[in-house]
Amino acid sequence: MNKESVVHKRKKAVKYLLIHLALIAAAAACVYPLLRILSVSIRPGDKLISTDLSLIPDGATFAAYARLLKETLFLRWLWNSLLITVSTSFIGVSLASTAAYAFSRFRFAGKRSGLVLLLSTQMIPAGMLILPLFLMIMKLGLMNTYLGIIIAYSVSSLPFSIWILKGYYDTIPRSLEEAALVDGTSQLGAFYRIILPLSTPALSIAFLFNFTTAWNEYLVARVVLFSSQQYTWTLGLFELQGQYITQWGMFAAGSMLVTAPVLAVFLYSSKWLISGLTLGSVKG
Amino acid sequence: MDILYSIYEILWFALIVVTGIALIEGCCYYHFRFHDRPWFIPAALAVLPASGAAGCLALGLVAEPVKPFLWLLGSEALIALFFKYVVKGRNTLPYLLLAPAFIGLALLLVYPFVFEIYLSFHDLKLTTIMAWKNTGSLPFVGLRQYADVFTTSPLSEVTFWALLGRTLWWTFINVFFHVAGGFALALLLNNNIRFKGFYRTLLIIPWAMPQVVAVLAMRGEFHSQYGFINIMLVKLAAAWPFLAHLGLGPAQWLSNYPLTTCTLINVWLGIPFMMVVILGGLQSISSSYYDAADIDGASYFQKLRFITLPLIRPVLMPAVTLGTVWTFNNINVIYLVTGQSGGTERADILVSALYKAAFTYNRYSYSAAFAIVIFAMLFFISVFYLKSFDAAKEDR
Repeated sequence: MNKESVVHKRKKAVKYLLIHLALIAAAAACVYPLLRILSVSIRPGDKLISTDLSLIPDGATFAAYARLLKETLFLRWLWNSLLITVSTSFIGVSLASTAAYAFSRFRFAGKRSGLVLLLSTQMIPAGMLILPLFLMIMKLGLMNTYLGIIIAYSVSSLPFSIWILKGYYDTIPRSLEEAALVDGTSQLGAFYRIILPLSTPALSIAFLFNFTTAWNEYLVARVVLFSSQQYTWTLGLFELQGQYITQWGMFAAGSMLVTAPVLAVFLYSSKWLISGLTLGSVKG
Repeated sequence: MDILYSIYEILWFALIVVTGIALIEGCCYYHFRFHDRPWFIPAALAVLPASGAAGCLALGLVAEPVKPFLWLLGSEALIALFFKYVVKGRNTLPYLLLAPAFIGLALLLVYPFVFEIYLSFHDLKLTTIMAWKNTGSLPFVGLRQYADVFTTSPLSEVTFWALLGRTLWWTFINVFFHVAGGFALALLLNNNIRFKGFYRTLLIIPWAMPQVVAVLAMRGEFHSQYGFINIMLVKLAAAWPFLAHLGLGPAQWLSNYPLTTCTLINVWLGIPFMMVVILGGLQSISSSYYDAADIDGASYFQKLRFITLPLIRPVLMPAVTLGTVWTFNNINVIYLVTGQSGGTERADILVSALYKAAFTYNRYSYSAAFAIVIFAMLFFISVFYLKSFDAAKEDR
């Protein structure tokens, strides 16, 4: 081995070391706040407020979790969120899947303007529609009900879902449906028996997108739901964190309980989620 | 029993949705089928509005069936004419497939938008809201709300122009750091290193966490006494006294530097998305370009400038556009950090001021006008932006 390649190798090792160091620093910055919540959630009650930075505190205990479940309506909030979110995503995905099929497979008067309309709805800032939706819900007498909040959520991710699903349907060869049509099924039958099963990945992306949007929503829920019986978990946590500094441990415990499943699902599905997000842009 | 009741409520809702969709589909289907029969339009005009108005009355949605009757009559006439002269019975299926989604969008996106325009020319506030709820009538005030937007403060002291400037600054700084940070991390990750997947997983955690939890947790870290930031600053200043002389020390982040705090939190939140998008772009670049450049003796920065940047442009531009719109419209971070009672308005941007004007100050019509102004601005910016984007595309 000559001298030059040794120098080269050393240089490369140093480069990789630096890359690893930089990535470790960045990763620490990303993970640390989460670890801090975890550590606060297992602190004993008398040491909640402290300048202690150690991740596993002395006398670690799950008391905050027990208190959270016993003394607050946390389970009820989770249940509310789950019910609202699942209904919303179900409506959103079923409406989007049929609409996207029409856009992907048919030529009809108004197709182009329909697609443009869909994109242009994305330009309306979401924050802008909260007020008229709030007033509509109030006028319909649906304040503080699941119905009101589901109505407000149900179409918010619809344009995006239609767009994703259309992109995916476009990649499925038409010959599959044509074969089914020759075999004597109807167009709707071909959609239901062939396209839908084949597009399970895209459907789950759309469902996941609808789900996370509604699950993490805070601003609409804030104005529509006002009794703590009806709160979603976002409202509940905000209240726990807002009111008294003594609730800090319960807030942390609640955060951990909510974050853990979401994080697991997200990390597990992130590969598909990302390919779904970039699907449209790469093609366009 | 509460749980049973909530399931009951959801089932009730599902029934409404299914009935609604069935009605829509049935209505469309009959229009397709019979659009050219001479008896169809008179029959539809006689039956549909009357039964619709009767239905509204029976469900207790309205006290007076005349108004829904006239509305339904008008829209039914329009729909019948549309089917007779535009659709003419062709392409039944796509319209049937699209109808529920588009009617949903019309009712819950387009109608609220139009309603907001209506509100902005009237006067709905805390003192008139009960009258509006009972009678549905509102005093007309013309352009006064729009004049108020530009002359009075949306909150208690900050002006519209200050908010506008702050919003542009906030958007620029955030998007700049999102792209810069995301790009740097993506370049680091794009090397052939060990534990790549592991790093990537850890790095997208801020994006994956529920935003409410992430923001509230970070807000806690900025607490003046018990937050991580100040604890570290105190420790640093104690370890190296010269830093303390330079003015480094604990600060009242939430009350003295609210906008900086919000920006730091939002930068932290936004980098992972950009990183993931850019990394996807980087990985799709074929290595043969770099091999060719190596043979030509190109330096690292030359490769970055002449290969990487042009080739990730198609991925980067939509992401930056999306990121800009998201940042411009980001109420969440600012409201969660400063929105509680006694919160400051020194960090508010246009949209968060809009939310507070509507729901903290209850100035409904005022904030409707405010929303229309913001929408108009965004609209012109994006039209202008899309035009320049198209022009750049044609140049290539």
